[in-house]
Amino acid sequence: MQILLYILKRILQTIPLLIIVSIVSFFIIRLSPVDPLAELRLNPSVSKETLQRETERLGLDKPIIVQYGKWAKSFIKGDLGVTSNGELVSAKLKERIPNTLLLTAIVIFLTWVVGVPLGVAAALNWKTPFDRMMTVLTSIGMAIPSFFFAVLLLIFAVKTGWFPVGGLTCTNFSELSLGGKILDLTHHLFLPVVVLFTISLAGLQRQMRANLLDVLDSDYVKFARAKGLSEFKVVYKHALRNAINPMITLLGFEFAGLLSGAALTEYVFQYPGLGRLILEAVLKSDINLVMASLMMGAIMLVLGNLIADILLIITDPRIRDK
Amino acid sequence: MKRIIFGFIILFLIIWGLKSCLHADVPDIDIAAEAITDTDTQFTPPPPQKNVTIDGVDYLQSQAPVGQFGGTLVASTIGEGPKTFNPFNSRDNISSLMADVMYDGLLTTNPYTGEVIPKLAKSFEVNGTEYLIKLRRGLKWSDGKPITADDVVFSWQDIVFAGVGNTSVRDSIVIDGKLPTVEKIDDYTVKFTTPKPFAPFLRMLSNPIAPKHIFEPAVKKGNAYFDTFLSTNADPKTFVTSGAFRIQEYIPAQRVTFVRNPNYYVINTNDEKLPYLDRLVYLIVGDLNNEVLKFEAKELDIIGLQGANVARFKTLEPHSDFTVYNLGPNTGTMYLTMNLNNRKNENGKFYVEPKKQVWFRNKNFRTAVDYAIDRENMVFNIANGLGEPLFTAESLNSIFLNKNLKPYPKDLNKARELLQKEGFYWDKRGRLFDKYNNRVEFDLYTNAGNTEREAIGVMVKQDLEDLGMKVNFKPVEFNSLVNKLANTLDWDMVIMGLTGSPLEPNSGKNVWHSRGTLHMFNQRLEKDKNDDLFVWEKRLDEIYDKGALAIDFDERKKYYDEYQQIAYEEKPFIYIYSPIVITAIRNKYKNVFPTTLGGATHNIEEIYIDKEGGK
Amino acid sequence: MWKDVLKQVVKDKFALAALILLGVIYFMLLFADFIAPYTKDFSDRSMAYVPPSKIFVIDENGHLSRPYTYNYKREFDPVNLRIKYKFDRSQKHYIKFFAKGESYKFLGLIPMKRHLVTTDRDGRLFLLGTDINGRDVFSRLLFGGRISMTIGFLALFVLFPIGLLYGGIAGYFGGKTDMLMMRFAEAIMCIPSFYLLIILASILPSGMTSIQRFMLIVIILALIGWAGFARVVRGMVLSVKNQEYVQAARSIGASRLGIIIKHILPQTTSYVIVAMTLSVPGYILSESGLSFLGLGIQQPDASWGNMLKEAQEYTNILYRPWLLTPGFLIFVAVLSFNLIGDTIRDVLDPKSKVR
Repeated sequence: MQILLYILKRILQTIPLLIIVSIVSFFIIRLSPVDPLAELRLNPSVSKETLQRETERLGLDKPIIVQYGKWAKSFIKGDLGVTSNGELVSAKLKERIPNTLLLTAIVIFLTWVVGVPLGVAAALNWKTPFDRMMTVLTSIGMAIPSFFFAVLLLIFAVKTGWFPVGGLTCTNFSELSLGGKILDLTHHLFLPVVVLFTISLAGLQRQMRANLLDVLDSDYVKFARAKGLSEFKVVYKHALRNAINPMITLLGFEFAGLLSGAALTEYVFQYPGLGRLILEAVLKSDINLVMASLMMGAIMLVLGNLIADILLIITDPRIRDK
Repeated sequence: MKRIIFGFIILFLIIWGLKSCLHADVPDIDIAAEAITDTDTQFTPPPPQKNVTIDGVDYLQSQAPVGQFGGTLVASTIGEGPKTFNPFNSRDNISSLMADVMYDGLLTTNPYTGEVIPKLAKSFEVNGTEYLIKLRRGLKWSDGKPITADDVVFSWQDIVFAGVGNTSVRDSIVIDGKLPTVEKIDDYTVKFTTPKPFAPFLRMLSNPIAPKHIFEPAVKKGNAYFDTFLSTNADPKTFVTSGAFRIQEYIPAQRVTFVRNPNYYVINTNDEKLPYLDRLVYLIVGDLNNEVLKFEAKELDIIGLQGANVARFKTLEPHSDFTVYNLGPNTGTMYLTMNLNNRKNENGKFYVEPKKQVWFRNKNFRTAVDYAIDRENMVFNIANGLGEPLFTAESLNSIFLNKNLKPYPKDLNKARELLQKEGFYWDKRGRLFDKYNNRVEFDLYTNAGNTEREAIGVMVKQDLEDLGMKVNFKPVEFNSLVNKLANTLDWDMVIMGLTGSPLEPNSGKNVWHSRGTLHMFNQRLEKDKNDDLFVWEKRLDEIYDKGALAIDFDERKKYYDEYQQIAYEEKPFIYIYSPIVITAIRNKYKNVFPTTLGGATHNIEEIYIDKEGGK
Repeated sequence: MWKDVLKQVVKDKFALAALILLGVIYFMLLFADFIAPYTKDFSDRSMAYVPPSKIFVIDENGHLSRPYTYNYKREFDPVNLRIKYKFDRSQKHYIKFFAKGESYKFLGLIPMKRHLVTTDRDGRLFLLGTDINGRDVFSRLLFGGRISMTIGFLALFVLFPIGLLYGGIAGYFGGKTDMLMMRFAEAIMCIPSFYLLIILASILPSGMTSIQRFMLIVIILALIGWAGFARVVRGMVLSVKNQEYVQAARSIGASRLGIIIKHILPQTTSYVIVAMTLSVPGYILSESGLSFLGLGIQQPDASWGNMLKEAQEYTNILYRPWLLTPGFLIFVAVLSFNLIGDTIRDVLDPKSKVR
């Protein structure tokens, strides 16, 4: 019961957060001097009447506060408006968000599966050449500009022909069997995952190493050792559990980093995700689309943090009691 | 010990580094230019398609060699993909392309000669203001319903003339405030009447025809509904088309797949129904570079090439499975223009500083700028040699091109002479001043992110600085730039491009008419009066009014020759160059007859895959 | 404190190498005008995309010679539709050191004409080839580096005072102030940073001078990072504010702001230093990403990110690999910063939670 109450409180806390986010982003976007109808204006065959109709539709002739009010009201109703091309924003987001979630979920999963053991290994071999090598290797991973790495991998894909050049599915995807579909997706996802994995692995590995070192240094581990418990038991039964708990909080942040990192990667790999959508929308100053995808990004982030928090409450009783 | 080894390693690295920088001067032997014979991209186009009547159905018979059925062609579009599949709502190139695949118009353009020929219509007759169209009998929509005069009348009357959806077609055929009319004579005959003779109308009849039984309910629900009708979210099964293909699947940001329309009315000489291909796929790719990568990785079958990529593909061609076609200069124009505006905005401030107005409104100043532009090196560096310097307002492949207007090279002396004549002078450091002792300094804009235009901007800046002008080159976001050009009008000089029609100069009316929305060199906003026209601007207005009303080609040509002459002399736009359009397509596709006017897939229904493959 | 850091850096071979490398890079950037054979905007348009100049020390007769180079000349091959580059062997251009070339202002002050290495007037020495406009890539790398390698630091100098003060105030006052301020900071953190970055960059007013644009990008980068930093500072302030010396200062009547600045914030020094070194690379990467997308530093100015834009093109990567050099430089610089940052952290703040 207490847990549920806490969770509920936590959820309610996110609401003012989202309101601030929406106000901040709306005003930033509307500060921009650019004209969302510019593309239509330069089309020689669009008439003045058409332009007028578009202006009214987007509410561009009204003061900015009214525009925000209009936007917020419809957002709550689930109506995200239309893009400057007349498509439904919600439909566009529905196409893109699952793709981005798929990509980030795979990357998070892989970094945990690889990063946590590597972090543990580094911590157990603290200050040995192995630990040092790991630090340097992860530094290298963090230092590669993601877009540059992505471009190089694309060239690699073309030269070897081993991987498809961007995209998410092949042309006859809908005719494949389920197994074939999964194989095809894996094939397409491989390179973008490699890029994001390389970049985000470092952070996780380092965090795990630091946490475990912390715990290994603590009194109760010393006590356990003194009691004569085997080193294996000390590390894997007691220390590790305590070291992993704070990592869960990191999950939310990792998700944030990935959303950002994915934008450039999606751009280079032509991956149909949220990052590429927002980039295109920003370049065209498509107000509704930018606002909606920005809000979606923020909501996803807040949700990520929320889930991390809830997981933490469940796994770590200390927090509950506070 | 360790140190010695370390020292050796460093020494080795230094020597190795030096070695790779320094070379022995051994003259390279000119390897006898690898004998790449120019693969034969010449072809003789098949005889024109014929009308053939079988069992009371008026088919159109392709005269191209008979091919094999089946297979897929994968093409691509650059950008975000189509915005709609409704042919009457399309506002961008990609949506229009998708509509063209699915919906045929009454008439079309002969891709080889540029003349107007019947398509969905069996024949047509023009009689002054009357256009009599005879339809083919027995044609069917993809759902089996017949195509009749009702569909034609509905498409024009209730959609186009009524101003539903995209109104650009309607806007361009308003003649003296009146619209043409359409009437049904019988089930297979319709008659259009224009209020006055109006030459551009004939080509407008290539506008798609909609199936009345599908579109009528949507039109009745009003404009707002029509805007979302057949959008990209529509169920592919609901599409009823007249063209060679019908949409099968649309995956956002990835691809559009079309499947053949079994009821298509073009047949081959064996009387089998075309198209040969089962499917046509358009991949949606984000940029040129990705497109090239996809072609190289064999994910694409056909691609338009530019610049350095052409060189690469040309070298690969002899050992590869594709052929490169040179389709000649493209149909757009790229230009530099100055702001000739001398009006004030609502706050009483001049859009253009008065001292700059004096320069920009001076013909000799503009001409001097023109002579300073080094078009040749721009073609060389930016287009990799694959372009033609451009001097005319009509693109180089326009059928209305005025061939008497001759190109000229960069000539700084001539430019200086012209400036001197207008009282400009140079100080000791070579800086240019006008006769009122103002330093000649202005901003040059182009849209950021377009590598080609940015590179041109850098070169133009240098060229003009050779004349002692100070140029502040500012690439800005496309949207901001358009806002400047269309609303705030606070710009000095800009590099832009326009797409144009090589067949119908009247499509440039928006640009050249003094009240046009794209008359950017002297843009008048709605509130502005029209009483300060240049003499030549006034003449352009006349030419555009008269040119559209003349019917005879030679008569029209005279008008449009004059407009090009004026543009050539007065230089409101300083044209730069036209890139050459190059297309590569895999050899397994046969019946490929690319043309400048129609591109490589104008005869998509005739293209087939040679199952034996290769050459 | 600094002694420990230095000792550790010297002891660690990777960190030492990184330090030396960064030293060399910054030295070259500082004296870029002198070291670069050409100015940032010098271009020879008849030499677009030429490969790096070859330097010969053995002449055509096989004798040792002073180093010299040939110019390239271009020919358009109408059959293969491509441009060929050949040496113009009619004239040798000897390499000269400390000779006169393009004029510039040394360190922005002293007008000078001498360059470290150059060649004669008609000759062209392009150590790393040229770009689409015939500009020397090597020279532009140096001038572009000035932007890329300083933008991160500048952003930090804008961001840290804001973050420190914001976090300090929130933490010290606590209560409603704290809650409001932190909610706002959290809201900023909730917007995926790269999304915010491109949106801010895209609304920059057009037609700014390059200096204005540079400064605004610095500010934008700073706007992204301050919230997270402020949050950590607040946490640290909370933990020290009830310690005795702070209470003592309060009891003798020091002003609140005075206490925050004089007594509380200094406690966060080591964290600040660690966080600074570790976040510089992030800003270098952000700038390059932004410029790569065309939203950051723009032509004709150079930065490593916008130079890499050309490397996006497939044919450029295959045939003009010298255009990729900015990518490797970014990599090397960021890696060096990371390695040094790690070492500093190990010394100053071994249990740090940063990364």
